[in-house]
Amino acid sequence: MDQFINTLFNGLSLTSIILFTSLGLSITFGLMRVINMAHGEFIMIGAYTTYVVQTIFTHIVPEQFQSWYYIVAIPIAFIISFAIGSILEITVISRLYGREIDSLLATFGISLILQQLARTIFGTQGVNVTAPDFLFGGFKIGTITFSYNRLFIIFSVIMCLGLIWYIMYRSAFGKQIRAVMQNRNMAQCMGINSRRVDNITFSIGSGIAGIAGCSISLLGSVDSTLGQNYIVYAFMVVVLGGVGNLKGSIIGAAIIGFASIFAENYTSATLAKAIVLFIVILFLQKRPQGLFVVKSRNLD
Amino acid sequence: MKYKVENISFATLALILAIIPLLLELNLLAGGSTVIFIGKCMSYAIVAIGIDLIWGYTGILSLGHGLYFGLGAYGMAMYLKLVSTGGQITDFMHIGGLEELPFIWTLFKYLPNTLFFMIAIPALVAFLVGYVIFKNRVKGVYFSIISQALTWAVYSIFISLSPYTNGNVGITGIKSLFGSVKGDANRANMYLLFYVTLGILILTYVIAKFLTQRKFGKILIAIRDGENRTYFSGYNVCLYKTFIYVLSAIITAFAGAIFVNFNGSITPSEMTIEFSIMMVIWVAVGGRGTIIGAVLGAFIINIGQYNLSSGIFVEIWQYIIGAIFTLTILFFKGGLVGLISEQSPILIKKFQQKQEQKQEQEQKQEHKQTKQKSEQIIITKPKEV
Amino acid sequence: MLETVIDIRKISVNFDGFQALTSVSAKVQRNSIHFFIGPNGAGKTTLLDIICAKTKPTSGRVSFFSQKHNAISLTGMKEYQIVRKGIGRKFQVPSIFENLTVGENMELSLKSHKGIWSSIFQKPDPQELEEINRVLNKINLSDKINVRAGTLAHGQKQWLEIGMQLVQKPEVIMLDEPAAGMGKSETFKTGEILRELKSECTIIVIEHDMEFVKQIADVVTVLHEGKVLCHGHIDDILNDPTVQAVYLGRGKGNE
Repeated sequence: MDQFINTLFNGLSLTSIILFTSLGLSITFGLMRVINMAHGEFIMIGAYTTYVVQTIFTHIVPEQFQSWYYIVAIPIAFIISFAIGSILEITVISRLYGREIDSLLATFGISLILQQLARTIFGTQGVNVTAPDFLFGGFKIGTITFSYNRLFIIFSVIMCLGLIWYIMYRSAFGKQIRAVMQNRNMAQCMGINSRRVDNITFSIGSGIAGIAGCSISLLGSVDSTLGQNYIVYAFMVVVLGGVGNLKGSIIGAAIIGFASIFAENYTSATLAKAIVLFIVILFLQKRPQGLFVVKSRNLD
Repeated sequence: MKYKVENISFATLALILAIIPLLLELNLLAGGSTVIFIGKCMSYAIVAIGIDLIWGYTGILSLGHGLYFGLGAYGMAMYLKLVSTGGQITDFMHIGGLEELPFIWTLFKYLPNTLFFMIAIPALVAFLVGYVIFKNRVKGVYFSIISQALTWAVYSIFISLSPYTNGNVGITGIKSLFGSVKGDANRANMYLLFYVTLGILILTYVIAKFLTQRKFGKILIAIRDGENRTYFSGYNVCLYKTFIYVLSAIITAFAGAIFVNFNGSITPSEMTIEFSIMMVIWVAVGGRGTIIGAVLGAFIINIGQYNLSSGIFVEIWQYIIGAIFTLTILFFKGGLVGLISEQSPILIKKFQQKQEQKQEQEQKQEHKQTKQKSEQIIITKPKEV
Repeated sequence: MLETVIDIRKISVNFDGFQALTSVSAKVQRNSIHFFIGPNGAGKTTLLDIICAKTKPTSGRVSFFSQKHNAISLTGMKEYQIVRKGIGRKFQVPSIFENLTVGENMELSLKSHKGIWSSIFQKPDPQELEEINRVLNKINLSDKINVRAGTLAHGQKQWLEIGMQLVQKPEVIMLDEPAAGMGKSETFKTGEILRELKSECTIIVIEHDMEFVKQIADVVTVLHEGKVLCHGHIDDILNDPTVQAVYLGRGKGNE
């Protein structure tokens, strides 16, 4: 039983991480049809931001407030990746709407540049972010430990989901986003500034990747290839869930997350991931549009 | 006319490549390593042709051709490793706890078998992957994302099965098919390998050129520009796509096998997504949709990398390649070749226009003259009457 | 003359709860020009999609009575197989291969050499080349044979696509708004081209332009909200009060 609950918790934890890294993508890919290969680098930017904030705190903030660096880092990570995302949208992405494959390739070039930028600034060696005091350890039920930082990631991803849901479905801006994504010309006729909507939507997607990076920095060392480790999964989640569908992304992440953890009981972690990917690829042959697809009515 | 220019350019390139060993003999090159490097470039150029056939012509963007490059390369490397161990099991197998040669390795014990399996295995994988995916009409970015995930999965497996593949280290310490190519004493081997590779590059070019000039090539372009329309013209598009995908995989696997001969080792890093996208970069920068573009792209990028990836340039090189690639995609869809062939007609046109203007002016003058003459005639006519 | 070539029987299509077609039946006679007309959303294009297998029907079947072989059921076949059986389709938006020349576009549409092997090793024979030239003459594009198709004018693209259907020597050609975006004289010319073709094959057309319908239609089927409203000669149709009601937008209660 303990074993089972432990597996379940690990599955939930992995799901939340995978979901976190794919949330931004599901906005940029799902809503804007931009295949952002530099998405992983925005995660990296978030992680490095956390590291920088931590370093600054150790120098200028009294010791008893050290742990607060993490709380400060989250909004800063969001703002920085939001800003870089905005710049990227203006300079590159805005020229690529409607050219999916080209957007994939061009952003790969950007990803090479951002990775090198990280190496130039921080070196090739990984840097470490120490978890703040309040995330050390965990609480125990019987023999099972629920580590605080994993719980914290689960909590943050739920918060982010709520935020996205609110922005998309409850705010006036969300209405504009959905209007532009569904019928750009019509939205423009209604007086919506579609350029601005595009820009902010893409930036939000990037910003959320930054927050994800903040969380992921807790899990291991941060280096320039950090983003690459997650990008394959992130894309698979979005495709599996059905492009442009928040609910689909959640279930897609859950399937991949839990399946990987269960498979790990029988084989090594790497092999488990590979097997799960194979299964997902096979599944996508049956339903190329993913789990949840909004079929359009084929009118005259 | 256009085809001729392409063929002449390629012939010139082949000629330049052919005299490179000569340059070494005349001590005009830094050392044998340059020749080996150019040899690797030729294998990359072969890969680029394979990528161009599926991407440039057919519009299928694979982000996972490293998989086929790796399968071909590992196949060849296993044979070459067994040559160096005399058919005995390797040290990393010992460490991995294997007692005897695993089955998969026994397939690569002899050269004919190796040549067969190093092609047959990637071809079979490509066929299964291609047929299933294309039959279900998965296309565009979805294909790219799946090809990328697939390659990543196989890459992970290659790393985790270290008793069979030596994990991250890969298969090292091997000589080429013609013996060692390192050092001055082995220059004859190196030249042999070099010219065989050049021959294969030329052969690949000729095949690709032949295919793309026939109706087959037009059908590929038709699929790229309007897949559904091609179905409605009565073509089994899935079959065509599978065929060209498998062919491309075979070409890539062959290149991988050649690469091992020059490189003397193979690691899983040749199977990564990054390397796979690098292949696409060569083709994009050189010029997709023309074979010569793909070949030139592979040479230019790799020579650039070779010369700039030491010292302080390491960092700059990454920025350069990233920027060039992004700019190419954004502004120069036809890559280098596209740029040249777009610009040159404009220049020619300008030249022609100037000439035409001159002619026009001359004609105008003539016209004026004749007009004046006729006027004169008219004027003079009444006199005649 | 009254020989059925395509028999559409009780076709229904449902797109995720949206009933696009409801039990549509129609018979298309050989060597006739058969029009499907109706307001937007009537299901005309969907019906063509069903015949050429672009869309699968929820129920019902389509049969094809060819002169060359026995009657076959088209339902369940692949689109390229249907094309090879002799049913061609021209789409609403001109869909030609823009990066190929006019001649290459035509060559791809020839009936032969559809396999990989023959597309690599065989070339069209002189007869086929002659046929291409004949068709190009008919559609006024013979001087454009080496021109990139993407550079043609809109009307010429439409004609090229019709030409691509013709070189396939199909028994049935389906045209989705062939006169869309054409001027009056071009439309008339298109009509004349189609009228000439009637002797060679059967033509199914979707069109909004009533002048065009009057010019060439033999039989007209009116669709409305996924159902067959009426069926018959164009003059009768135009005098039918229900049809008038539908087209003038008063038709909601009139079914």
